[in-house]
Amino acid sequence: MAARPTDQGRALASFIPAEFTGWTIEEDQVFDAETIFKYVDGTGEVYRSYNMKSLFARRFAAKGKPVLVVDLFDMGTSADAFGLFTHDLDGEDAATGQGSTYKGGLLSFWKGRYFASVYAEDETPETKQAVLGIARKIDEAIRETGEKPALVSMLPPEGLQTKDIRFFHNHSVLNYHFFVADENILQLDQTTAVVLASYGDKDVRSRLLVVRYSGVAKAEAALDSFVKAYMPDAKGAGIVQTEDGNWTAARRKDCLVIIVFQAPSREFAEDQLRWIETRIGK
Amino acid sequence: MKNKAMTRRDFIKAASVAPLAGAFIPALKGQPTQAAAEKVKVVLIRDKDALDAFGTPNADVIQRMLDEAVTTLLGEKDPVKAWKTIIRPEDTVGIKTNTWKYIPTTTQVEQAIMRRVLDAGVPEGRISIDDRGVLTNPIFKNATAFVNARPARAHHWSGMGSLIKNYIMFTANPSAWHGDTCADLAKIWDLPHVKGRTRLNVLVMLTPLFHAIGPQNYSKEYVWEYKGLIVSRDPVAADATGLRVIEARRREFFGEDKPMQPTPHHIFLADTRHHLGVSGEDRIELVKLGWTDGVLI
Repeated sequence: MAARPTDQGRALASFIPAEFTGWTIEEDQVFDAETIFKYVDGTGEVYRSYNMKSLFARRFAAKGKPVLVVDLFDMGTSADAFGLFTHDLDGEDAATGQGSTYKGGLLSFWKGRYFASVYAEDETPETKQAVLGIARKIDEAIRETGEKPALVSMLPPEGLQTKDIRFFHNHSVLNYHFFVADENILQLDQTTAVVLASYGDKDVRSRLLVVRYSGVAKAEAALDSFVKAYMPDAKGAGIVQTEDGNWTAARRKDCLVIIVFQAPSREFAEDQLRWIETRIGK
Repeated sequence: MKNKAMTRRDFIKAASVAPLAGAFIPALKGQPTQAAAEKVKVVLIRDKDALDAFGTPNADVIQRMLDEAVTTLLGEKDPVKAWKTIIRPEDTVGIKTNTWKYIPTTTQVEQAIMRRVLDAGVPEGRISIDDRGVLTNPIFKNATAFVNARPARAHHWSGMGSLIKNYIMFTANPSAWHGDTCADLAKIWDLPHVKGRTRLNVLVMLTPLFHAIGPQNYSKEYVWEYKGLIVSRDPVAADATGLRVIEARRREFFGEDKPMQPTPHHIFLADTRHHLGVSGEDRIELVKLGWTDGVLI
């Protein structure tokens, strides 16, 4: 499929080099949130979950060398570019863009409202250098930078696992990172903004979930739904000791719902709730 | 690994896939129950020569593996006689393959199936191999029998690219089945043009992908040469067995229990919610044949 000559496609293409150390363009394609399934099948749902606007995909070929693929997404906002980046944080830091990882021949980074993936179909020392080089060219070409979602700055810093902060919108992605329930008991959708953070070490790891709803009434309804399904034994106290001896606590403040899962103590859970509450509106 | 108490998240997760676990939490009552039944047979066959030095399937070995698996599964010594118990000469047969560019079903597996369908007496003009064109392919539209063959692989949205999922191309709008990370894919098997037609399922485990990364959902780093086929009449049992292999490989590779993300719950829900087959290890009679090095389960 040839690239459609859309403005969005042209803008994204302008960030990607046409050639890199012998690799030249084999194919360009442009997709949007409806057509992405033609390119990556069901995996397209991941990108739709972050409200993707458009994708420019460029394949590079060089005689006798593995194919390189650049997938550059315009996510519409820096929050969603950051969120998509946090979907998969495994890998080493590649010092590219505003955050990056490299693993298995794949370099991913975010910058401004863009998320980029540069991938070698076969990883060799040469393709690794090419992947890094192309990614840095794209990074240089994208002049804008963006802010992380405001919810991220509200997280309590003590014990925060900074490489395990996820930002997303919907129930499916929540369960991807941290299973809560099959039913959408937190009433998440594409209009909710969610940050999920980890605290403590691997053996004693608690999770802090902060959800911003579009209004107070929605937040109230979501908290009510969550408490009824997940912690009916809390009996309105908003905190309960669970079967494994840890604590789960939930509270609403304005249009935020704040939940602490697997806290090692009641005090820890309550401190985390209070920390977030004191930062609302700041 | 230290013992951990079962938490309400564990209960909720179990309740979504296991018939009785919901009884532990009042809010989750009403889960379906399923009476104990006979075990479902699944054959796992491996051969160290299934792939050549370049990773290409060896056609003769693949044919031999398929034959041995099918005869064992169906309890018939001769492969042609075995196939004749599931395919009739008057059948019109669609071989549902998978053409994903990085790990396809492979021509060798397709042709091994094709050969035995021909041997069962079906004329070539009434057999077709297809993936994305099944809704318009005249053979598939008139099919009385399907053979379902696809590779097992980690998948960013459904957890695992499975035999159950392979039938998504029988729907006009595949993305309509992506809800709750593909939870209800098994319902596709109830569609009028699909229901009751599948005679055999072949989960290709020659080079499974055990971890998915990036938009391409693929990296060679997370592929290994398992050199196996999993064969069953029950797609759910075959998928559940393939999943066990992939999860074991993940533990081996990552050095820790690293569950698939997202959870491939469509496999378990195909059992507990949709009753397409069985997923519990205790309900599956697994017959392992051939090469045992690195079998993992």
